[in-house]
Amino acid sequence: MRLLIENRFGFLALVLVVLAAMFGVAFATRQGVAPAPVPAPARVAVESVSTVCPDPGGARVTAVTPPGGKGEGTATVAEVGGKPSAASRLEGPGVPWQRDVPARVGPVEVAGAGAMAAGLEAAQTSRRLGGDARGLAGVRCAEPGAVAWFVGPGPAAADVRLFLTNADDAETIVEILVYAGEGPVVNDSGSSLVLKPGEHRTVRLRDLAPSPLVMAVEVRTISGRVAAAARAVLPKGKGTDWLPAAAEPATTVVVPGIPGGGGLRELYVTAPGEADTVVHVKALTADGFYAMKNRESLEVPAGSTASLDLSTGIGGQPAAIVLTADVPIVAGAMTTGTGSRPDVAFSAGAPAIDVGSVVADNRAGKKLSSRLILSAPGAAAKVRVQALPRKGAAPAPVEVEIPAARTKEIKLAPPGGGDFSVMVQPLAGSGPVYGGRVLDESTPEGLLITAQPLALARTWAIVPPVEETSDVVLPAAR
Amino acid sequence: MQPPRPSVTAIVVSHDGARWLKETLQGVLRQSRPLDRLVGVDNGSRDGSAALLTEAFGANSVLTMPRSTGFGEAVAAVLERLPHTGGEEWIWLLHDDCAPDRHALEALLWAAAGDREAVILGPKIRDWLDRRTLLEVGVTVDRSGRRDTALEPREYDQGQHDGVHEVLSVSTAGMLVRRDVWERLGGLDPELPLFRDDLDLCWRATAAGHKVLCVTAAVAWHAEAAARRRRRMAVSDTHPRRLDRRNAMFVVMANLPFRSMLWSVVRNLFVSLLRTLLLLLAKQPANALDEVVAFGGVLSSPRRLLKARKARKQGRKQGYPKVKALFTPPGMALRRLTDMVQGYLSGAGPIDSAGRHHAVISEPSGEDDGDELLTDAGLMQRVFGNPGVLLCLGLLAVTIAAERSLLYGGLLGGGALVPVVGGASDLWQFYTSGYHAAGLGSGGWAPPYVAVLAALSTIFLGKTWLAVSVLLLGCVPLAGLSAYIATRSMISHPLARVWLAASYALLPVATGAVAAGRLGTAVVFVLLPAYAALAARVITGERRRARRAAWALGLLLAVGTAFAPLVYVLVAVLGGLAAVSFGGVRRGVGASLGIAMAVPIVLLAPWLAQLAADPGRILLEAGLHRPELVDSRLPPEALLLLSPGGPGVPPVWVTGGLFAAALAALLFRRHQMVVVVGWGVTVFGVLVATVAARVPVGDAPAWPGVPLAFAATGLIVAAALTGHRVIELHRAGGLRRVGAALMVLVACASPVLVAGLWIKDGVDGPLRRGVPSVITDFVAAASRQGEGTIVLRSGADGLLTFTVLRGRTPLIGETELPVPDALRRRLSDLVAGVISGRGGDDAVALASYGVRFVAVPGPVDAKVRRSLDADPALTRVNLSPNGGLWRMVAPLGRVYLQGKDGGRTPVPYTEPAGGGIAVTVPPGEPGRTLVLAEPAGGWTATAGGSSPAARTIDGWAQGFEPPAAGGRVTIEYGASWHRIWLWAQLAIVVLVLVLASPGARGAEITEEYAEPVAAERELQEVPAR
Repeated sequence: MRLLIENRFGFLALVLVVLAAMFGVAFATRQGVAPAPVPAPARVAVESVSTVCPDPGGARVTAVTPPGGKGEGTATVAEVGGKPSAASRLEGPGVPWQRDVPARVGPVEVAGAGAMAAGLEAAQTSRRLGGDARGLAGVRCAEPGAVAWFVGPGPAAADVRLFLTNADDAETIVEILVYAGEGPVVNDSGSSLVLKPGEHRTVRLRDLAPSPLVMAVEVRTISGRVAAAARAVLPKGKGTDWLPAAAEPATTVVVPGIPGGGGLRELYVTAPGEADTVVHVKALTADGFYAMKNRESLEVPAGSTASLDLSTGIGGQPAAIVLTADVPIVAGAMTTGTGSRPDVAFSAGAPAIDVGSVVADNRAGKKLSSRLILSAPGAAAKVRVQALPRKGAAPAPVEVEIPAARTKEIKLAPPGGGDFSVMVQPLAGSGPVYGGRVLDESTPEGLLITAQPLALARTWAIVPPVEETSDVVLPAAR
Repeated sequence: MQPPRPSVTAIVVSHDGARWLKETLQGVLRQSRPLDRLVGVDNGSRDGSAALLTEAFGANSVLTMPRSTGFGEAVAAVLERLPHTGGEEWIWLLHDDCAPDRHALEALLWAAAGDREAVILGPKIRDWLDRRTLLEVGVTVDRSGRRDTALEPREYDQGQHDGVHEVLSVSTAGMLVRRDVWERLGGLDPELPLFRDDLDLCWRATAAGHKVLCVTAAVAWHAEAAARRRRRMAVSDTHPRRLDRRNAMFVVMANLPFRSMLWSVVRNLFVSLLRTLLLLLAKQPANALDEVVAFGGVLSSPRRLLKARKARKQGRKQGYPKVKALFTPPGMALRRLTDMVQGYLSGAGPIDSAGRHHAVISEPSGEDDGDELLTDAGLMQRVFGNPGVLLCLGLLAVTIAAERSLLYGGLLGGGALVPVVGGASDLWQFYTSGYHAAGLGSGGWAPPYVAVLAALSTIFLGKTWLAVSVLLLGCVPLAGLSAYIATRSMISHPLARVWLAASYALLPVATGAVAAGRLGTAVVFVLLPAYAALAARVITGERRRARRAAWALGLLLAVGTAFAPLVYVLVAVLGGLAAVSFGGVRRGVGASLGIAMAVPIVLLAPWLAQLAADPGRILLEAGLHRPELVDSRLPPEALLLLSPGGPGVPPVWVTGGLFAAALAALLFRRHQMVVVVGWGVTVFGVLVATVAARVPVGDAPAWPGVPLAFAATGLIVAAALTGHRVIELHRAGGLRRVGAALMVLVACASPVLVAGLWIKDGVDGPLRRGVPSVITDFVAAASRQGEGTIVLRSGADGLLTFTVLRGRTPLIGETELPVPDALRRRLSDLVAGVISGRGGDDAVALASYGVRFVAVPGPVDAKVRRSLDADPALTRVNLSPNGGLWRMVAPLGRVYLQGKDGGRTPVPYTEPAGGGIAVTVPPGEPGRTLVLAEPAGGWTATAGGSSPAARTIDGWAQGFEPPAAGGRVTIEYGASWHRIWLWAQLAIVVLVLVLASPGARGAEITEEYAEPVAAERELQEVPAR
């Protein structure tokens, strides 16, 4: 060893050998460390749901929790600020609860906890045969939130009212923004208002912006949460309905649940951002996508709402409208029924029902029909449809396949008719599904109609992977 | 008309000075200007001095006095007996150890004749032994009585001070004074039997309007026997140093006008304290005692001082301006300070010698002063002519150019460095407090590097950001400087050292550490050369120096270990090997190495125990450990070429030149042993780096910067040792010259390339300026009582990360406090529940953890925003592209009451200055629980004298059973052990500092006094008169 070190070439050789050995070790262990994969998001049952039916007076309120929840739980219906009575307690999962609410009752809160929370859904439906508010009008009871979008006719074309409810324990400051055909409406009277805990208020949009023919309303809170709903009453008894809450601005929007049949079909698109855009419009019907002639695209100036008549384009087929733009947009649609005194129904941009969807209030009978219009703009989809009748045993679920890029209409007709709830559940391997539910009643004067885009059921929540680390004090490294 | 020839009387005072007296007398007797009268005084000598005097001057001319007579008294006694001649009469005072040159008196008289106002004249005084060394050309003082000769230590006389100067005072050794003036002034003050009597006399003379001249044409050689303790002093038993200091202060205070004197008292007090401290640091407690006693001695006898002042009253104030002009010039203090620092750095004690009686007190220091620093030139020239300084400036320029984006702006942070907030006091508070109300709350030990940073910040006037900037951003020039200084004794050729320092400072490790904000690596990188130098001294140094170096190594190693624990492992393994190989060869090496290795263990004990519980962290360093800062698949060639991977690292091949140079160095035979050791260090470092880069700690392996820097140290030293061989090759000419040039080119390629690439690319993150604070001012203002804020960020891969902060950006080090895993998991579940939007009471449960806000720095993920908006227990405060903030609708704060039914109500509380939390509990039914939202354990409560029973709530929080009647409850964290340990730690640090700092030399004066037998100064009998 000593000789080796003392010889200059010997030591050089020794060093080189050692270095080669170290290189070998480092090379062999090179694959050693792989970063731990981020765990996949988990699904958990929703533990608590609270929804507010905006104006149940004189309407029928239906609430249902689909079966499948584990453990204990209760769900109650009570006027906001009041105490629930024994009668207003839901019986159990899978059995719809239904009441006709007397007039002059304020908004009611449907709240569920534990097993009765998972998928709790409520809706209010009113049916008037006369007066200004003649028509069938239904709305999904809304969860309080920070933002709500409504797209539809403006105060110049209909009497539009916002129903704002604060069902929480904290004060809420609400701001209302109107995007009209000419751009955002700026009014100096101030469009923000304060709702105390338990307070509810109705806002006539005509007071805020009298002139727009078409518009989008953004209700957002500066602090707290608000349950918002909007109802449009067309003048001269031409029908009434609630505007469903539209999906938040996105560059691709699907407006599902456009019913077939005669009557007007009008599309409303709003670009709330800072940039003008051209929206590409495609209809998705039972025959697939097609671009409507002369209606391939729609120019929407920044901050304003534009409308497009699709009546002849769709040609009376049940459809979904698929919109793409390079800036986030919000969209809605109006359907007019047929007859001497027609009724209207509204749909709006909706999310894909990944975790399923529940519609509380459906009816079937001699003159009443309920239909699901399901669209699969991407891959082929397969869903299970389960009716939950108010009385009697639930029928076996039906599995429905929707071919890729097709729309399919399914008539809901449980044996025995009557009122029922329906649960739509995409099956494993299914592509994204968008849908709407249409409820109509034929009367001698014309078709009464209401529609509701399918919303995500409140059954499951996606729990993201979460990790405690001090790294958050710094921005992510590039 | 020729003026009458003045009469000169020489008075030689002897006291046990036989060994010098012979030569002195010869000098007196052989004057070119013969003396008119010669008088000898013997103060009771026991060594035959009296006989010598008698032999030279004759029995009639010798006076014998008692042993305790002072110099002044002796002279006074002579003058009493000496009759006046009538004409102009001069007295020439001589010590027995002061031999005048043959022409001294002639020169003095000539100068006196030239200036009628000159009444006191002194010769140029040179050293007795080393006859060329200047001791005095006149002496002055500053207002604190510090003696100033205006000479460098050991300054050779080359005529540079020649001429006749007016000075404040001259020594009594060789002093020529006019007799009438002497008598008018009252002679030397008998209160000052030794030291400073000359100053006092001259001061009085100057104040009286006379002149004191130093005549350099007259030369005397002085042994300064009394001051150097070469003879016992009979006149006083006090140590000469103490006496000198006391007399100095006494003279200054007696002669200054009243106002100046008051100022002088204050000044002397301050100076004395400072000097005492420095002397203690220098491990010279006896001298420190002298200093204190001297000052006390002056002040404790005010009557003596008053008497002296009274005697000097006349003309004191009028003459003062003239005296003042002769004081030490003000710039001298600065110069002295720089000299002192320089001296300290080169291993001398922290106290300089100028305050002593002599300029020549420090013996020639050893080999390490063979530096260019010693050439006597101006300060600027000394500084800028030094290649080390030039190298440092060059590296500084490179650093500034490369770090242009980091030099100014907002908060510095990013990579591994949390944004640097807070000041020194915050850091001290963090380090010294037993319980850290940061994050989830922790009673763990704060990382000790916080104390180091706090100390540095204190030096930087409390500015932590400055301390961190200097350490981190300045690590390249600092490392260059430390490498240059550290190799002083290892590598002789300055150019080789410059190459070494530049190559070391510009390693990829340094650029990587700066880019990723790795403070730990930066500090260790600067310290490593110091470790090498100190370790070399421990192994090879003289025993005392080795032991001192061992303490210093231990302390510095503790500092490095606190920043990056891996360095301890590296040094300890090598230290063990060195102890095995050298322990038997050199005495004390084993023990010294043991000291060096034990000091960090002892100093960091509790924190190290905490670290040992999670051994993977040994591989990590100060700051955050983030996977994106590490190359988890570091290629093997990068490891061999000392490139640690990660952001800010130049391409792997840039260090190829360095590597090639080190391999080429193997072919030279010189320093074979050191080269082998260097390569051994390199191989070991690379092996450890391989382990560090391959073993995952948490999500990713550690960054192998520290072991690679360690490896590089060995490699570069091995290469630089052959530097002078290359120069020899160059000198040889021909083909060898080409080879040498090629080698130099290859070797210099690495630092030049790294510097060039660094400047070209700049430092573009992740470290940057202007890091946005995750805690907004609103949150900070709304959570003054330490309420928590959940900060939530969504990653690109869908992973949500969060942490809990307490209303402020965490201090440096706070993010490294240990968090129990169970608590972390529990909190993660709650946050996940809130973000999932499943409803439920997750947010309410979060409030019971003391959480008040949820902050999401921008851009806010839509899903996260929806979930937070949808939670009824949270309400949004604001939302913008910069981020969103939600607050709890019903916050509980850090202390709340939990009823029997589980209902929680917040309770008001305050945090008194003395620590702890004071809660006012409202009266209520029994069975309630007072909950403190901090991890249970270690807390005690007192309520009106009783201590409520403690229990754990919700599996983690600290609960107490408050009295039903309510009242004030004080909750405190038991941290007495913590406090005791902190004091102990401080004591250990001080002890190690004192043991490590250079101290007194072994003996005051070790040189053996050799009688100079100079041939040219033959004995020449002069007949006695």
